[in-house]
Amino acid sequence: MSSENHKDHAALAAKFNKDEARVDWHDQTLWFVRAKRDKAAAAVPDWELLRDTASRIKENVLSNLSEYLRQFEEAATRNGIMVHWAADAKEHNDIVLGILRKHKVDRMVKSKSMLTEECHLNEYLKENGVEVIDTDLGERVVQLADEPPSHIVLPCIHWKKEEIGQLFHEHLGTPEGNADPRFLTHAARLHLREKFLTRRAALTGVNFAVAETGEFVVCTNEGNADMGAHLADVHIACMGIEKLIPQRRHLGVFLRLLTRSATGQPITTYSSHFKRPRPGQEMHIVLVDNGRSTHLGRKDFRNSLKCIRCAACFNTCPVYRRSGGHSYHTAVAGPIGSILSPNLDRKKYSDLPFASTLCGSCSNVCPVKIDIHEQLYKWRQVIVQEGNAAAAKTAAMKTMTWVLSNPGVYHASGKAGRWFMLNVPFTVKNKWNAWYLQRELPEPPKQSFGQWYKKNRKV
Amino acid sequence: MRVGLFIPCYVDQFYPQVGIATLELLEKLGCTVVYPPDQTCCGQPMANSGFEHLTGECTNLFVKNFNEFDYIVSPSGSCVLHIKEHSHETAGIHNKIYELVEFLTDILNIDHLDASFPYRVGLHQSCHGQRGLHLAQMSELMAPPFSKPAQLLNMVKKIQLIDLDRKDECCGFGGTFCVAEEAVSVKMGKDRVADHAKHGAEIITGSDMSCLMHLEGILRRQKSPVTVKHIAEILNSNIES
Amino acid sequence: MSSRDTILATVKSNQPGPRDLPADYSAPTANAVDLTPQFISILEAIGGAAFLVSGYERIATILHEQFPDARRIVTSCSQLTAFAAAAAGGDPHELDTVDLAILPAHFGVAENGACWITESQMIERVLPFITQNLALIIPRNAIVATLHQAYDRIATLEAEGFATFIAGPSKTADIEQSLVLGAHGPRSLTVFLVDEHLSDAGFY
Repeated sequence: MSSENHKDHAALAAKFNKDEARVDWHDQTLWFVRAKRDKAAAAVPDWELLRDTASRIKENVLSNLSEYLRQFEEAATRNGIMVHWAADAKEHNDIVLGILRKHKVDRMVKSKSMLTEECHLNEYLKENGVEVIDTDLGERVVQLADEPPSHIVLPCIHWKKEEIGQLFHEHLGTPEGNADPRFLTHAARLHLREKFLTRRAALTGVNFAVAETGEFVVCTNEGNADMGAHLADVHIACMGIEKLIPQRRHLGVFLRLLTRSATGQPITTYSSHFKRPRPGQEMHIVLVDNGRSTHLGRKDFRNSLKCIRCAACFNTCPVYRRSGGHSYHTAVAGPIGSILSPNLDRKKYSDLPFASTLCGSCSNVCPVKIDIHEQLYKWRQVIVQEGNAAAAKTAAMKTMTWVLSNPGVYHASGKAGRWFMLNVPFTVKNKWNAWYLQRELPEPPKQSFGQWYKKNRKV
Repeated sequence: MRVGLFIPCYVDQFYPQVGIATLELLEKLGCTVVYPPDQTCCGQPMANSGFEHLTGECTNLFVKNFNEFDYIVSPSGSCVLHIKEHSHETAGIHNKIYELVEFLTDILNIDHLDASFPYRVGLHQSCHGQRGLHLAQMSELMAPPFSKPAQLLNMVKKIQLIDLDRKDECCGFGGTFCVAEEAVSVKMGKDRVADHAKHGAEIITGSDMSCLMHLEGILRRQKSPVTVKHIAEILNSNIES
Repeated sequence: MSSRDTILATVKSNQPGPRDLPADYSAPTANAVDLTPQFISILEAIGGAAFLVSGYERIATILHEQFPDARRIVTSCSQLTAFAAAAAGGDPHELDTVDLAILPAHFGVAENGACWITESQMIERVLPFITQNLALIIPRNAIVATLHQAYDRIATLEAEGFATFIAGPSKTADIEQSLVLGAHGPRSLTVFLVDEHLSDAGFY
């Protein structure tokens, strides 16, 4: 995807906000998920200690990542899992295609993997003659609609049930006008069951991989990862190298945090631990770098690699809720996406760290205590210093700096500004003043505080 | 104790009454307050926009103006937070600068106020003050609730503090965000205002005039009867009815 | 240099300085508390059903009442072969027609209503997922408080090639956050908690 023609978050979010009722619906739905998270967290004594424990385990992982990767590879290989290493997205895609071709597979089922979204695997496989069916219901919806997911846990949260009903009517033959979630889910169940039963290859994501035992864990509510993997001759699991945890018992910490943070459930319906292939089956795991090893070297930003992809930050973010995932034009959106994406492409994603008021709510809900809002601030400094700020903004900032560093200039500008606002209001009350589009400007007072103080208090 | 009064640039230019209320309140509570006339800005607007590297001179001017005081007090959580965390000042200013509310509760330790404000008031929890300076507990954390601004407001006679659906959602001002992402910024502000209106607020207050300026802009465009007042103005009020 | 070598070298040179693992997290637990009520209440809240029973005869009776239309019933429990078929392993696809599978599990977890079941209890890995309805059987006294105790317990079991926590029936809320039970996995989950000390009339 070229970086030239995309619109930035502000423009895309403005478009999203044209339909205010829809924004309200999107915002309230996701706030409800945040509220469920709060309720679930409150029911766990020592929730904050649990977060702190998870954070420190992940920091230990990052500080020993090369050793844990070796340990995992060794243990997984002993278990009979074939371990592959992909330096970047292209290599990941080639490896997956290579495995499929070796088995003469041209049709595959896939459960949720944000990593494969990041690598644009589906398009690549399609170009190379492999049909991929996404089996997570939300992912299947967006796949049928030919668009990317807008949320890493709730892929079609931006779709209304009437729209899904229409989509299923067109693609699955359900009756027109039927928008009943139970009916539609059942239709998807039948439609996808046929795929599970007939596909010989299944690809899954990885929620956690355990260095100690060489196993990996896949969490779903729907059971789609398991339906695919246990019926397939070939199971391919794809993971970012940062998804390791040191020991099996650490799963107790992470599985207690993950789903409560994500949806407010105590745990997903299935938390499947894959250690060895089924007799007669080939099991592969692809360890993907794609910029992570570089990011690991950035002192200010490496902690974003602790992420366990729960999306709690999305649900709490007042900006995400009112702009929708597609406004971020990247695979992983929301606050965490805004600090991960600039690593993938600095220019293309330079707008994302600015798509925030730095309110700090995200950092508080993060189960592994990533300092998201601090990293957003720091990315802004990097982006500007590397020359990726808009020229107009730089000029304005330099002017502002000059004014605010010189008291005389500041007082004169303030006085002049207020005079203009009072006597020639059109200079600021016009459609080119973004503030004025939907807000009144403050009424300019006759004198500033400084002037009042000078008159009334200065001895 | 000598207190240096730091008035944010936009408060100086557009809301002098907030500066006056802050000054009067501090003096009522026994402080010797001085307003250094050459102060301008803390540097936050530049820093939050990615131009922290341009704020050196601004910070130096700030230190020059305020270094001599025992305490520096400002009616602005976000400015104080910026000085403490992002200004890289090395003169020790960050140890003695306080936002007004926390200065009253933590340094002056006041337990009563001679103030009266007979209105239904909604408290807007400004993010930098709350999550940055810990002026109040954050709804995301599983931790005991507290609120320094509410603590002070509850000392004001005849005041009625209302509840809100979303106690600490951001108003959407966010510095240059308010114009760079105008659509989302305004929508966030409209939703805050609607929450307060739903619960019958006559006046919205808070410790950051930037948030209130943004909400006021929306309220006035809506021709709403709801108005905004900085917490300093309420704590300094003596309105009987 | 292979990608593996490059990745490992870059990671090693970029890793931050040492950070120890934190002290072992031990959840506060009250000992000698009956965890059955919590387990049952959470399991029901997540869409499962629970029965406290004295033995396998009660299980068969209840399942017969709950699933009168089940045509193909399979089990790996030798105690239930009068009621259900002992399915042979082999081709997992063949299990597509199973209406009800009755399987033992090792233990339950009170904080989330989950049961831990391993491959050797499943006949085929796909069975607990492909069956239309699933019933699991655990000893009533085999309920632990939280996942921390669960992993302590798992450490005492032989490690198998596949195992999973199952918490309730399969579900999705992907359509406008409307919860629907029965996504791709089973449409119902029933857990039997066996307590021989119950009288025959004792049922939940």
